[in-house]
Amino acid sequence: MELRVEPRATAHVPWVLVIGVLMTAAVGIYNLASASRPPSSPVWTSQLLYLGVGIALVVVIALVDYRLIQRATVPLYLLNIGALIALKWFGHTAKGAESWFVLGPFRVQPAEFMKLTMVLMLAKYFHDDDRPNQPAQGFLRLIPAGAISLIPIGLVLVQPDLGTALMMVFTAVTIILFSKPTLPVSIAFGLICAISFGVLWNDYVREQPEPRFTVLRHKLKKHQDARISGWLDPTSDLKGTGYHAMQSKIAVGSGGWGGKGWKEGTQTGLRYLPEQHTDFIFSVFAEEQGFGRCLMLLILYGVLLLGGLGVALNAKERYGAFVAIGICAMIFWQVFENIGMVTGLLPITGITLPLMSYGGSSMVSVMIGVGLLVNVSMRRQMFRA
Amino acid sequence: MKIGLGTTREPKELRPRVFMVGGFFLLGLLVLAVNLYRLMVVRYEEFLALSVDNEFKDTRVRSTRGLIRDRRGEVLVDARPSLDVFITPAFCQRCVAEVIPRLQAMLAWDDEQLQHVVEMVKSARGPQRYQQIVVQVDLTRDEFDLVNAHRFQLPGVDLEAVPHRHYRSGAALAHVLGYMNEVTSDELAKLNGGPTLERPPYAMGDYTGRRGVERAYEQVLRGRDGWVKEVVNARGEVMRDANGNVLKRDEVPPQPGRNVILSIDARLQAEAEFAFPGTAGSIVVLDAKTGFVRAMVSRPSFDPNEMTGRVSPARLAALNKDPLQPMVFRAGAEHYSPGSTFKVITLLAALQSGAFTANSSVTCGGGYQLGSRRWRCHKESGHGLVHAHQAMQWSCDTYFYKVSDVIGIDAIASVGKSLGLGSVTSLGVAGEVPGVMPDTAYHNRVTPGGYTKGMALNTAIGQGDVNVTPLQLAVVYAAIGNGGRVYQPQVVERVETPEGEVVEQFGPRLVREIEMTPEQHAVLMDALKAVVNEPGGTAFRSRLADVTVAGKTGTAQVSRLGAVRLKKEQMSYWERDHAWFTAFAPAEDPEIAVVVLNEHGGHGGSDAAPAAMAVIKKYFELKRIDGEAFGLDYTPPKPAPAVKAPILVPPLAPPREPGGNGLAATPVQDTGAGIERDPNPEIASTPAPPLPDVAPERVAPDEPAAPPSEEGGR
Repeated sequence: MELRVEPRATAHVPWVLVIGVLMTAAVGIYNLASASRPPSSPVWTSQLLYLGVGIALVVVIALVDYRLIQRATVPLYLLNIGALIALKWFGHTAKGAESWFVLGPFRVQPAEFMKLTMVLMLAKYFHDDDRPNQPAQGFLRLIPAGAISLIPIGLVLVQPDLGTALMMVFTAVTIILFSKPTLPVSIAFGLICAISFGVLWNDYVREQPEPRFTVLRHKLKKHQDARISGWLDPTSDLKGTGYHAMQSKIAVGSGGWGGKGWKEGTQTGLRYLPEQHTDFIFSVFAEEQGFGRCLMLLILYGVLLLGGLGVALNAKERYGAFVAIGICAMIFWQVFENIGMVTGLLPITGITLPLMSYGGSSMVSVMIGVGLLVNVSMRRQMFRA
Repeated sequence: MKIGLGTTREPKELRPRVFMVGGFFLLGLLVLAVNLYRLMVVRYEEFLALSVDNEFKDTRVRSTRGLIRDRRGEVLVDARPSLDVFITPAFCQRCVAEVIPRLQAMLAWDDEQLQHVVEMVKSARGPQRYQQIVVQVDLTRDEFDLVNAHRFQLPGVDLEAVPHRHYRSGAALAHVLGYMNEVTSDELAKLNGGPTLERPPYAMGDYTGRRGVERAYEQVLRGRDGWVKEVVNARGEVMRDANGNVLKRDEVPPQPGRNVILSIDARLQAEAEFAFPGTAGSIVVLDAKTGFVRAMVSRPSFDPNEMTGRVSPARLAALNKDPLQPMVFRAGAEHYSPGSTFKVITLLAALQSGAFTANSSVTCGGGYQLGSRRWRCHKESGHGLVHAHQAMQWSCDTYFYKVSDVIGIDAIASVGKSLGLGSVTSLGVAGEVPGVMPDTAYHNRVTPGGYTKGMALNTAIGQGDVNVTPLQLAVVYAAIGNGGRVYQPQVVERVETPEGEVVEQFGPRLVREIEMTPEQHAVLMDALKAVVNEPGGTAFRSRLADVTVAGKTGTAQVSRLGAVRLKKEQMSYWERDHAWFTAFAPAEDPEIAVVVLNEHGGHGGSDAAPAAMAVIKKYFELKRIDGEAFGLDYTPPKPAPAVKAPILVPPLAPPREPGGNGLAATPVQDTGAGIERDPNPEIASTPAPPLPDVAPERVAPDEPAAPPSEEGGR
């Protein structure tokens, strides 16, 4: 393996993306310093360490020729699935979910990496399945792609980690739709969407006398059911399931235009927010920084995503393009779901906000993705015919 | 290592899709931005208010409740520390497994109590877990020391001295002072004037006055609670700054309650409690010139200390089932036939009608014939020729039968009503019944068959339908004594701030002045003086050596008379007569009016008069002591006039026994300034009524009135 970078390659470092990532990460640490003010332990210092590790990873991954990674995709994918299965026996249980391996001082969440390897695997499949004469993908050609995504999704779902599984579904759907499916396929996805909405509406929104007819609700675990009902009607049970949703909305809403000031957020300081330095980090930011800077943060994410999409746009072959799209989709859906749940738009699922939330696994998985993007971007000149 | 290029075809067909994905991403971010705008800009105010609600918690700072003192400043009601045990579930580690069993061992709880505590601790959820739960009140000092010594093994357990209302006089004065207990949720809604108030004056668990002064002066005594706006976190913990000071925004200091000063003299009350001879009944002592209550006994009584949050349901049920009804305020909320004490009204009506003068005479042959029926006088052999003077002195029923036959029931009723009978006296601190002052209209309305003349005869001697409360009777006698001024009786003299500054001073309240000529007054006074001070008077044995007392005995018949007269001892308790004695003293210029009612006590002269005399004697003794101590203007009352006939028996004084009850718990050295008192008096058994060593009927035959069975009394 050669970690050699041709001089031409440095010319194609996606600076927009890199600067976007670094700025967002800096904002994240600044915000984390407030979220983890006393009496919480000052975890922002650890986050700084994770960021350092992340940057190192970006550099290392950027140096590896990504075609090497392309070749290693299948083993990586299988390895990761093996790790997910192994969790059943060796996993560390917390909050009712078996999601971690404990390796010495580190806790590794295979699901975080599964998102990435699934993206890589899908990219590899669509790369290998390139048929220039038959550009549109029919149902038959999508069956392997479906299998590639559904197997890990199913494994993550039984952990159970509904949030990550949902993120993988959305990411996979984005990649599949990106692969130019035929019209019937698009219609099928549309139908699935419509049916999901219908089920949600029937199970949670529609007023009907007991015993209620529910399609899916009675099959869900109690905490999942509570989360969905807490999302669709947060005022129904303010002390219980709707509590977090409501407190988070209060935090965000009370920020106003200018915010309450760094380390001045009352919802944060008085610990009204659950998981305030991981899943609900955005409510801390919104409360203390206000609408203006929230908008700037969204723009920052937009810049970051556009940087990533630029990589996809300039990719010289399908694998790179699909990897770039997949990673962008992964980041986008996490941002969308996280901010959506914090502001009451979406149900609460345990999804971290990329580069803002505290946590090594989250930071590392995002940074690996960024590293791949940089890698793809830097090596596009190799394909010039 | 060489890596193959694989397909190197440039995926141009993907490019427009990248733009589509980019557009979709931007759209997603736009949705987020719009939603943020909606929350943070449009609904900013709403959420800001909610976050402020979250941050601050109003904490109530209780005001101290005002004291109740007697007219000389002696504390009747104050607060004592109650040593209570609390558990805060959030801080109580291994609570059910270890801490509660330890407490159980120390405080000797039974299983029921243990179960109760465990349930309370377990049922606390969320922020409630940070609130203290009372698990036991009123620890003894020993228990307190024991728990305190083990406090490090009892995490989450707190010992606190909580102020608890303390009624120093115990059961004495209980009906006047009242007691306290928790407000009900209905009252809470009413007291707080709807649910909208941000800082309601009452909270769940607050105590409020029940009955008596505690209730009537609730708002005065209570003061106003203060508030502190404290910063609390999501768990309800109060936040502190780096120096450990509580973070608070604003503060409304509590306003302490005002002290209520009663017109009661605790020393006189003690004497009255001590002197009361019977099982049940009442003593009322009024200032004859102002209507202020100087002492008020209602027996049997209850212990307000027990009723104030320390009474078990079983005990409460027992109290309510007690046939003697200790919760009933007998001085005002129960009415009785006044018996012969009513005759003073009949006589006044007779004089006012013009049909009778002091010299009008009636011959008593042991009864009075009306139509075919004969109304008996209590002396079967008859009193012979009687004038107003002897009629009162001997309590001759025949004289008053004649009076009512001549002037009719309405003339008597109008005098009775003008003196306040038949309507409440408006004492203001306790529930009252109006009693009954019957007239023709009343009988036509109430009695089957309507009014007949016999009813007038019964009314004239205080039997039949006429019913009075001891308090009403005291007002009547005070008015007779002071020349016709009917005062509203009052218990509260003034309201003071805790510093002693007078906030409100209550003066005498004149209800009306009845028409009474000096001549009529003189006739009444003369006759009432004779009852006590002349041989043959029904209360002659109880006269005092150095004070002229004017009064009237009464023996109200409770059950129908049979053919044979039974002695008191031969009747069951519930059939015995009520013994009354009403008096004022000194007769020349009355200062106090005293009413003694001894329910089912027997004869007014022997079973009620001595108690009244003891109270009157004490009153003048106290007056002398106060006069000497404070240099007040004091003129000793005139001694009783020399007795015109030889006396066989000396005046009867009530026996003084050690011990006693209530306010009389310790014989206080009355220096005029003594405030000290046994802090924990207990009601001992009611002292036995004085047993005269000489048979009373030999000297002062009292007068069980004898209405015939048909028109008979109650």
